[in-house]
Amino acid sequence: MVASFWSLRDFSLAHRRGDGEELLLSGATIDVPIGGFYLLVGKSGGGKSSLVRLCVGLFDPREPLPRTKGGFDCLGESVVSGPSRALRKRMAAILQEEGLLDELTPRQNVELALRAAGRSKRLAPALLAQVGLDPLPDRVASMSGGMRKRLAVARALAAEPEALFCDEPTAGLDSQSAAQIAALLRLAHDSSPGRTTIVVTHDLAAFDGLHDGILELDRSTRTLSMRTAGDAATDPVVVGPLPDRESENNLVHAMRHATLAVGGLAHTFAVSVLRLPPFEMRSTLRSVVECSLSPLPFVAGASAAIGGIATFFALRNNPVDGGFEAEILQGTGKVLVSVLVPLLCAFFFVARIAAGATARLGTMTRNHQVMALRMMGIDPADYLLTPLVWGMVLGLPVATFVGAVFASLAGLIAAQAVSGTSTLGFVQTWFRDVDPLDLKAALGKAALSGYLVALVCYHLGSGPKRSGADVGEAVNRAIVHAMGIALIVHATVTLCVYV
Amino acid sequence: MHRSRYLLGVVALALAIVGALVLWKALTSAQGGSGMPIRVEFRDARGLRTGADVRYRGVRVGQVRAVQVAEDGSKAVVDLMLDAAGEEQACINAAFWIVAPRFSGLASGASGLDTLVRDAYVAFLTPKERGSRLLAGATLAGDERPPAIVEPDTLAPIGHGDLLMTLLVPENHGLREGSPIVFRGTQTGDVRSVRLAADGRCVEVALRVDNRHRHTVTDHSVFWVARPHLSGALLSGFAIADFSAIVSPFVAYATEPGKGSPVVDGHRAGAAAERPDLAVGEVPPEAIAKQASRVADTGDPIVLVRIVYDAVDRDTFSADDRIRGEGTGVLWLDASGRAVVMTARSVVDGAYTASETWGDVDIDREQITVSIPGGPALRGHRVWTAPNDLDLAALVLDEAPPDLRGTPADLLAFEVDVVAPSELRALRPDGARAVVTDLADLAAVLDQHRGGILIEAAKVSGLLGQTAPRKNSLARLVGLGVAPADLRPRK
Repeated sequence: MVASFWSLRDFSLAHRRGDGEELLLSGATIDVPIGGFYLLVGKSGGGKSSLVRLCVGLFDPREPLPRTKGGFDCLGESVVSGPSRALRKRMAAILQEEGLLDELTPRQNVELALRAAGRSKRLAPALLAQVGLDPLPDRVASMSGGMRKRLAVARALAAEPEALFCDEPTAGLDSQSAAQIAALLRLAHDSSPGRTTIVVTHDLAAFDGLHDGILELDRSTRTLSMRTAGDAATDPVVVGPLPDRESENNLVHAMRHATLAVGGLAHTFAVSVLRLPPFEMRSTLRSVVECSLSPLPFVAGASAAIGGIATFFALRNNPVDGGFEAEILQGTGKVLVSVLVPLLCAFFFVARIAAGATARLGTMTRNHQVMALRMMGIDPADYLLTPLVWGMVLGLPVATFVGAVFASLAGLIAAQAVSGTSTLGFVQTWFRDVDPLDLKAALGKAALSGYLVALVCYHLGSGPKRSGADVGEAVNRAIVHAMGIALIVHATVTLCVYV
Repeated sequence: MHRSRYLLGVVALALAIVGALVLWKALTSAQGGSGMPIRVEFRDARGLRTGADVRYRGVRVGQVRAVQVAEDGSKAVVDLMLDAAGEEQACINAAFWIVAPRFSGLASGASGLDTLVRDAYVAFLTPKERGSRLLAGATLAGDERPPAIVEPDTLAPIGHGDLLMTLLVPENHGLREGSPIVFRGTQTGDVRSVRLAADGRCVEVALRVDNRHRHTVTDHSVFWVARPHLSGALLSGFAIADFSAIVSPFVAYATEPGKGSPVVDGHRAGAAAERPDLAVGEVPPEAIAKQASRVADTGDPIVLVRIVYDAVDRDTFSADDRIRGEGTGVLWLDASGRAVVMTARSVVDGAYTASETWGDVDIDREQITVSIPGGPALRGHRVWTAPNDLDLAALVLDEAPPDLRGTPADLLAFEVDVVAPSELRALRPDGARAVVTDLADLAAVLDQHRGGILIEAAKVSGLLGQTAPRKNSLARLVGLGVAPADLRPRK
């Protein structure tokens, strides 16, 4: 029988920053009883969220974990280096920025959480009614702050967690709404006996009379202490100097970052292989349709322009006026269909799809949607990477096919305009040198480029994002890297096939 | 937003699929065994029918698919479907014509006689320098008559010793590859190629003269392009010369007997604009006499040959000089059966006569032609030069005919070393013996009686004439005693 929910034994916690460490907790020792509704309070930046994220396991694999010392158990298991998979399933968290998936409806958000927890989707209406979301809006984006919190509560409850963490659930709400959310959380806490709820908050007024105790993280002394409900409910007074910064060797820091970067790449690649079978069939299908259809108008137009212009000028600038037209068309057709159009289609595709996919992933990461997925027990790779891989591996060959056809059709029109070539004559000459190997190579290049571009987009998009600028930078890098990769793949395969 | 983007994508994809199907259908219809369609326009379809053959070199390589009149009524439009072999041969400069019974005049005679009993068909020929391949669906202009393409492989191959020269004619009166070259009404060679000179001022005709007849071409020969030539007057009556040229023009030439010297390969000659006024004379009495004396005179068969030497002296600081030597030599067969010619070294060795102010003499492209009287002109090469700077050299002839007759060994004296030129005696064809005191005279005599003069050489070792003598060597006659033993005649 586990008596404590949290048990800290001489526990120290330090945040790794760019140029050193910031000590947040120093030798904290405390036992938090199981089954209570606690508030975790303290000054901003004092380590409340870090403590919760460490406990729930919400650190990104590419982020350095906080440095810890001493013991930190949750529900009887050590969470010093994050929770085990089994323990995480017993916990749920409501993030400050909710992490609601914008691309799903509110109801689908709850259904996704139910499915991830292995429960029936039909429980969704009851859960939504329980948090007071009835009627339900169509889109997440049109929901108010209070409604978003309620939806986040419903999603967190879907997994029937033994422990529920809430990070600033009343932030940004008016006092009435804050009180309603606080009451809802208490209600939710009471709905399941034995559940422990920890609410990270500054808004003690909203929870007045609702909590069973206050965990106070003192930034000046770097200690964690507990006041029970009977104690005076005053804000903790924090005095003293700012936490020390422990300097760290720059080289070690850089090496750690490099290791994390390489490890992150290897992780992305490994995950792309291991998670290739589509788990989220719906999002995979949506991604395939998106990647296959949305770039086509752009690809078709651009390829037609290139095919038409290339053929027009090849015939027009013929030094032997009217001579060797068959040879000119034959060479132009071979180059365009086998080499140039597939490469340019990859570029168009990157510009049209890869940039958008990276931006979407970056925004989801920035808005904690990726974290929310992880919290629900859904591997982000299943939900984000696998659909992207399938979409791009199938979509880029489709784009290449459409590009080649439109380039050829435009070439036909140009040839007819310049030298009055018949359709039959054009087709026979244009494709004379194009054999099945060329088509296979072109589609193979497209599929391989698609796979690698998907990896690049996912890797750069889902990396740590601290600001909107990070998202923009990720999009930029994704475009450059994806085009470079497409160029390398095409050049290598083309050289292997023809040289 | 998403829907409209997808909608456009679906439209683009559908268009691409339809486009691909159209391209695929065109591709398979063009490649799928039915052949390559092309269109040829003629002024007159000459009764051509749908389904008729298309032939290349007499082989069926396609079919006539349709014969129709052009929209403006000015042409007959014939749609052809070429099969793979036809497609391979057809090019944009191929000549297409309709084969139907046709009489094209004396020159070309009748053609297409096979179509008297069967349908007309379309034939085409591809010139040697083929143009680019035809596009399916291409339209070509057809010829109204068969093209005058003579394949080079119909020409006789160039044999060893054949004379190859260039004739410049003011105008090409229908000469073409394969046209004959005629001397005294006998074909002695053929035309290899005809082309306009680079500066456009004349036509260059490459000629091949058979090696058996190359001695009939000298630097005094007169050439013309034979065309029927009407001469005479109303009262005196008309005569038509070169009437046979009405069928096919040819190159004719005349060489005054005994005049000029044989030419070497690469010789260039100009043709007269008109047929020169040459009377066909009687057979010269000497010819008859020679024939008679040859029968009668069997005891003194010394074989004298004409030698022409041609080479280039490479100069470092100025233009190269051409070296040319002409002379006479005595021919015999040595112990191993080789045809040996003894002659003056100053005739056949440019290095012997040339002098160079700067550096060494550099002789290149030596060519020695030996004309055997009444026989072929053969190539020879120098195998021996006399020591002590003596003006004597020996040649061996390449590929001498097996029936070649040499001077019998017993007529060649080796015991006499030096004979003064004043003692040289010549035996004329008429049997008279003339004493030649100067080799320049001998050369003149030889020019006049080419192959018809014998020099009594029983007592003379070397018998030499020079037209471009080296200083101080004019009268030098050296005995055969100095010749190496392996070149000596068979006993």
